[in-house]
Amino acid sequence: MKVSRRTLLKSAAASGLLTAVGTPAFASDIEELVIAYNVNLPSWDPTVGPSAVNPTIQGIYQSVFDMFIHQNTDLSFAPGIITAWGWNDDKSKIWMDVREGVTWHNGDPLTPEDIVWSLERAGNPDTGNPIQFIWGKIGNFQIDGNKITADVKEYEPTIFKWMSFLTGYVMPKKYYEEVGADGFEAKPIGTGPYMVDKFERNAFVRLKANENYWGGAPEFKTVTIKFVTDASSRTFEVMSGNAHVTLEMPYEEFDRLKENDGIVGTSAPISDIGMIFINDVDPMLDENVRKAMAYSIDKKTIIERLLSGYGVPIDTLQTPDYSAYDASIAVPYDPDKAKELLAASGYGPDNPVKFKIQTTRGFKPKDYEIIQAIVGLWRRIGIEAEIEVYEIAKHYELRAADTLAPAAFYNWGNAIGDPTTSTGFAMFGPSPHSVWDGEELMQKILPLWGEADEDKRIEGWKEVDRYIADNALVIPLLQYVQPILHSDKVKVTPHASGALLPALMTRS
Amino acid sequence: MQIVRALLTRLITTLITLFGAAIIVFVVIRVVPGNPIAMMLPPGASEADIDRLKALYGLDKGIFEQFVIWISNVVQGDFGTSITLRQPVYDLVIGRLPATLELSVMALLIAVVIGGAAALTATLYRGSKVEGGIDVAGGIALSLPDFLWGLALILLFGVLWPLFHISGRISPSLGFEFSTNFYLFEALARFRFDVVLDLMGHMLMPALALAIPLAAIILQLLKQSLKECMHDDYITLARTKGYAESSIILRDALPNAILPTLTLIGVQFTFLIGGTVIIERLFSYEGLGNMAIDAVINRDLPLIQGIVLIFALLFTMVNLVVDMAYAALNPRLRHA
Amino acid sequence: MRDARGNIRRLPGIRLWLSGGWLTFLVLAAIFAPLISPHDPLAQDLFAGRLPPFFEQGADPAYLLGTDSLGRDVLSRMLYGARLALIVALVAGTLTCLIGASLGLIAGYYRGWVDLVISRFIDIWMAFPPVLFAILLIAVLGTGLMSVIIAIVVIDWTRFARVVRAEAMGQGAMDYVASAQVAGRTRFGTALTEILPNVLPTIVALLTLEMGIAVIVEAILSFVNLSISTDQPTWGGMIAEGRTSIYQAWWVLVFPLFALFLTVLSFSQLGEGLKDHFDPVLR
Repeated sequence: MKVSRRTLLKSAAASGLLTAVGTPAFASDIEELVIAYNVNLPSWDPTVGPSAVNPTIQGIYQSVFDMFIHQNTDLSFAPGIITAWGWNDDKSKIWMDVREGVTWHNGDPLTPEDIVWSLERAGNPDTGNPIQFIWGKIGNFQIDGNKITADVKEYEPTIFKWMSFLTGYVMPKKYYEEVGADGFEAKPIGTGPYMVDKFERNAFVRLKANENYWGGAPEFKTVTIKFVTDASSRTFEVMSGNAHVTLEMPYEEFDRLKENDGIVGTSAPISDIGMIFINDVDPMLDENVRKAMAYSIDKKTIIERLLSGYGVPIDTLQTPDYSAYDASIAVPYDPDKAKELLAASGYGPDNPVKFKIQTTRGFKPKDYEIIQAIVGLWRRIGIEAEIEVYEIAKHYELRAADTLAPAAFYNWGNAIGDPTTSTGFAMFGPSPHSVWDGEELMQKILPLWGEADEDKRIEGWKEVDRYIADNALVIPLLQYVQPILHSDKVKVTPHASGALLPALMTRS
Repeated sequence: MQIVRALLTRLITTLITLFGAAIIVFVVIRVVPGNPIAMMLPPGASEADIDRLKALYGLDKGIFEQFVIWISNVVQGDFGTSITLRQPVYDLVIGRLPATLELSVMALLIAVVIGGAAALTATLYRGSKVEGGIDVAGGIALSLPDFLWGLALILLFGVLWPLFHISGRISPSLGFEFSTNFYLFEALARFRFDVVLDLMGHMLMPALALAIPLAAIILQLLKQSLKECMHDDYITLARTKGYAESSIILRDALPNAILPTLTLIGVQFTFLIGGTVIIERLFSYEGLGNMAIDAVINRDLPLIQGIVLIFALLFTMVNLVVDMAYAALNPRLRHA
Repeated sequence: MRDARGNIRRLPGIRLWLSGGWLTFLVLAAIFAPLISPHDPLAQDLFAGRLPPFFEQGADPAYLLGTDSLGRDVLSRMLYGARLALIVALVAGTLTCLIGASLGLIAGYYRGWVDLVISRFIDIWMAFPPVLFAILLIAVLGTGLMSVIIAIVVIDWTRFARVVRAEAMGQGAMDYVASAQVAGRTRFGTALTEILPNVLPTIVALLTLEMGIAVIVEAILSFVNLSISTDQPTWGGMIAEGRTSIYQAWWVLVFPLFALFLTVLSFSQLGEGLKDHFDPVLR
């Protein structure tokens, strides 16, 4: 019953049912790069609607549009359309220098008016930009040559980081006003490394290199991105040679398929973590129970056995690439200590503490299996957790209403690597995304929102993370690893944000 | 005149059914816990942001008001906009409907061919081991639903003996550009048999899973009707004339025995279409049913409403057509 | 779902015996699961994950049918899963039967506006794809055993209502009902005492079929991640898990699928057999 993909391919080809037609030229060198993407592109406007906050789609958007500020593959920032930026001394104003000589895909020159228009549009609640609550904090833009200044309506230390994060895209003012929203949807233009050549909804998009790209023209002149939402079809595309690059498949498949001739597997940690939210309701008000939960999870073995080793165990909500990461904050695997803690509260295997844990299933790699494994580990020391599967839509509603179960598994992406968008939004009581509402934690976080000294700010967040870890107010589990399978004729450079960028791919 | 009045009555009950279905779906999905709006927001958004987007999608009004707005839009052909896919629901549904229709019709054809052939064979070899074998196979085929047949086919022809595709509708690599969403029909019309072959390779397994139980039903009913016919006088007459048994069955018995089977096929066709929901999911086939399950999981209210309504429309239409065809075909009813 | 009459009357004895035998075996396995299971169905051993069944190389004799990705014993989980399958079959099947048959009986006997309302509801119900309807209902009710049972009852009551209504109409027109009414019994009393015994064989046969369907619906809901969601073993849950690791551990899918196959087949064959047995017209 053991069947390899290879025999599958052979017999399938022999049966004559897989007649490949229009296969891209394959002989020695790749002329046209084909990428099988795991998500569909619902809209070309990168600043509105749910697709605007879908981290995976950003890879397509970033090929066509530029972000205000460029982000390197390790999440550090670099000059982009905005080449220099900063605050005035009392942090009441911001300034930005706009790159000169940049042209839109239709040949129009990019001007500071485009930047101002894009920022104002993002800050306008009527457009439906989901990040409007950030963009609305600046206004009253002034243009002086290549320099833009703006008034700070409300201090936001991370405003420049957002300029290379979700919805932080430069949009063409003149063109958009000429063609309108529908016209833009039909023929979008940006300043990015690729131009849209042909877009077939629900099927594929063909991109052509932007030879005038300010950062240098990309190596592959034609790139076709196919939308293949089914994981097995996606891997099949690469195995059959119909696509050169694909991403996101079960790790077992990744390990199995990368052994094939001509196929290379690239995997890199991305800015996405798995965690267990803890709601401050009974029995989670008992710190012994919370700590016992945290100490009894063997993250290393779970990652090794269930995720084939693809994952990085974490003990705070910061991954090693984030600016507030502190390796000295650690929560060890110590089941004996966990038992002691439970015993101190009168619990044990014969008298277990009982509560409900919620989890998604099939939303993140092995999410349900990981939670089952954790519940199995807990059961041994005297914690009886009942699993309830929910969908993400329900998770969001429960989280916003602060009615999650005592424990709830979820993931948390944070491509700017700032502690406000990880620990901050996840743990600050008044935020609708937080479920732990302890007064003490809230008081610790409160002054950090407006802290103007960057070093003090980061140190402050590290202190908060230490406090959270010591008291087990949340259980961080692991940082995810993105699996990419590709032809050995392509060199793929992964981006820590999880966006798969064709502009970073070269011939090997 | 009588037929016109019957037609009118049928149309009115059909409309009532559709309206009732619309109300039930509308009420049911509005008590579903799960917030499509909160899903669109990144960390850091406030309650006010949620309310703002709710108002944008009209979800801040009462159920009754929402229903009135929705139904009056639907009557004007506006089914609203999908929250997750940001496209008009009408376009999405019409875009996916051909995939489901092609799958259903293909399954129906397979069922008719297999069921019909089995019934004719069993009648020809009456009382032999062949008939017994066909009966037993038919009994098993009838007992197990499409979902289990689908899983079995995936194991057999997808994994153990990988002959066919077990996911998707078409190989993304074909590079053939369709101008309609009736892929199979269009590929046939344009004589692109390579494309037809690829489409069939994808469609065969899900269609077969849907067809097996229906084939068994056709087998049983047609065989029963044929058996009854075989005792009729004109058959005996044909035999005395010395025609071969097989040609007697095909030329004389079949036309007389087929009417009940045809009616049954019509009724069963709606069940088959209902079965596409899980079969499309199982085979990752990009049809309406697969989209419907995603819509429920994502709480995409306008899309769920649109899909359920189109299914209800499809079902009632098929039933209507079956009834009309029955009335037109059945000589006894015509003369009554 | 399907009303075609089975007319395979060859070897009815063997059919009844085989299906009855398997179901009896299943009931015994379910009752004595704690005694005969080689392992705790929930016990995990992450270092013994995906062990193959005994006849394959690399098997551990302690795990006869192998283990799943968390190192849980497949055989023990199947035995415990049989309990849940049978509970769903019995409870959901019976409830569906009671509610559907009662509504059908009322509609078929009283006729008039009661019939009109119930028939209209049946029509509306028939306009929904049942699987989609069930998924919507679970989304409303939340996952869990009760939700699954309620969903089955809600989507499938029409199956009983339609058949019983038609039978009751036919029976109601017969003389003995009229004479019972003349004899001065209440109308509903007549319905119960005169009509029910006559439609009972049909109901019993349908009930057996429904039990098989209930097991399938549970499996389908598990497959779209919407059934009973604790780590308690269910066949549907095992099949859903096995489907994702089909190339790595086929046994996690195949064994529970086989059990499901046999069970649904047995319920349905038993139903057909009972129908033949009771139905004087067919016999």
